[in-house]
Amino acid sequence: MTALARRDLLAALFVVTASAGLPSLAAAVPSNPKARLFGDLDLTAAARVGEAWLAGRAPTTVTALAARLFPRGREPEALSALRRAVADDFRRGAVFVHRGWRLSDTEGALFGLLALEAR
Amino acid sequence: MAFIDARTLPDASRIQADLLIIGGGLAGITLAKELAGGALKVAILESGGRELDMEIQGLYAGSAMVRAPDNPDKPFDDYPAQSRARVLGGSGMIWGGKCAPLDPADFAARPWAPRSGWPVTREQMQGFYDRACDLLEIPRFDRDNTLLKDPTRTPLALDAEDGFFSAPRAFTRYSGGSDKAAFDRFRTDFADAANITVYLHANVTQIRLNPTGDQVEGLDVACLDGKRHTASGKTYVLAVGGIENVRLLLASNGVHKAGVGNAHDLVGRFFQGHVTYSVDGDAESEASAVHVSRDAPMGLYLNPTRTSPHCVLASGAPAQERMGAGNFTVTLYAADETGIAQADTKALRQVATTLDGGTSGGGQLLGCFAMSEHFPNPDSRVTLDASAKDPLGMPRIRLEWTYGKTDWDSLERSTAGFGDALGAAGQGRFCWPIKRSQLLAISSASRHHMGTTRMNADPKRGVVDPDLKVHGTGNLYVAGSSVFPTSGIANPTLTILALVMRLADHLKQELGADR
Repeated sequence: MTALARRDLLAALFVVTASAGLPSLAAAVPSNPKARLFGDLDLTAAARVGEAWLAGRAPTTVTALAARLFPRGREPEALSALRRAVADDFRRGAVFVHRGWRLSDTEGALFGLLALEAR
Repeated sequence: MAFIDARTLPDASRIQADLLIIGGGLAGITLAKELAGGALKVAILESGGRELDMEIQGLYAGSAMVRAPDNPDKPFDDYPAQSRARVLGGSGMIWGGKCAPLDPADFAARPWAPRSGWPVTREQMQGFYDRACDLLEIPRFDRDNTLLKDPTRTPLALDAEDGFFSAPRAFTRYSGGSDKAAFDRFRTDFADAANITVYLHANVTQIRLNPTGDQVEGLDVACLDGKRHTASGKTYVLAVGGIENVRLLLASNGVHKAGVGNAHDLVGRFFQGHVTYSVDGDAESEASAVHVSRDAPMGLYLNPTRTSPHCVLASGAPAQERMGAGNFTVTLYAADETGIAQADTKALRQVATTLDGGTSGGGQLLGCFAMSEHFPNPDSRVTLDASAKDPLGMPRIRLEWTYGKTDWDSLERSTAGFGDALGAAGQGRFCWPIKRSQLLAISSASRHHMGTTRMNADPKRGVVDPDLKVHGTGNLYVAGSSVFPTSGIANPTLTILALVMRLADHLKQELGADR
């Protein structure tokens, strides 16, 4: 995935967030979509989390992770689907523990995608 | 009627009453309060005086070791003397006043929890809990629930199906750590009643049985100044705490060599304590922490003065069963983010906040400690150290506080389950960076001593029966947390008082004082 595509992904995530009508995010205007979606996300730190998720798993690709996380493309429902996936992960014990933090496997995959993009 | 300093009595005085209460702590005092003004002549025999005294406190000294799988032994010799108070009011003098009932699940026989099940249900205890709350002037749990009705303090929206809930805690002013003047009234006012006498500096050193060993005939009473007295009555209640109850039963071996109530080698076994588990973060490592994705105040859960009503997050019976775990709670407190927030932490919190629904403020980072039920374990026990005696000639105690693998399994399953419930509900994320091999080292012990004279209808499985009468001894009862079959998580005092209310009703009926 190119840098442009990465921005597209984050921008798309912002759009679906706004479309979902969530109060704090819906009001924001994405002059910098990446920053607006996750606040001032430290992409280096995010990539570090992602590399930890990728370690010990079968090798994967940006395409494969994007297909898993956004099976219907970057539609307005994508963030809602991710939220459902996160809840399902926790309820079936599909978790990823990073430095003691208990995260859903879906979150790990999101970080993994960011890590692969950053390579 | 009076407070009497036993040191001022003529040597070899004979104290007589209908009911003799050994110990003037919260259990003994509450029993006396329940009987004050009635037909029974009641005497309390209390080792201490009105104020803490280090010479008297020294009678508690003993040795202790905490043992657990996969952890180095933890010497804990200060614990026997520092975890209780030998004074009128007992450990209530150093208590912070926190009150909570045990959960319904704590009373239930849980197949996945070894040796669980009380011979009384929470429903049967509710009225006694209510009376205990009234005595301590706090809201009635499960009836008032005022804390959870406060619209300004909203609970986390956990999913009931995940089995975790917000469990309230309240604080009474009647504790030495909260309001000394109020507690002074609490621990003395009952003695105004004509039928009550409190003997201070009166150490019971021996429970004397009749020759057939099935009735108490009297008590030996010793003072540190050398005076020796005796006491006798119709009925006796042992209420000197979860460790000292054992010491006196085992040391009273004049008829039964194994001690009173110890025909089945149960006295002193199944010691259970409450400990908290947490770690602080630093530049290199994470703290035990909760990220909350909402910006709304978390005042319902925070207790900055350690005396504020608040809630903890607790696992109910369905969650315990699903996890194969015991009771479990997480207590939150304000954390200084600057000291513990790593770059990775910040990143994963930002993503979690977005996925949980997004907040403009980015959520909140809170510190936390976990508590996990300590399962009854026969190897966790109080014994006597025949080689060490106190100035009154009483053998000192040895505590072997022992955890089993099931305790660690339960804790780790519960921390995982809590993190999953928090995340599944979209309320936040949980950080538990503690390895099993660290657990003992980072644990912090509460002053709660439970289980050593456990209650069970079967004499082979319990020291006292459901009425708290010592099996095989017709006129001796035990009050206090030593009768708890299982320990739950809640601070034990409210349950101790509720059980004492129940015992008082039984004794009134048994002794014909209810007419």
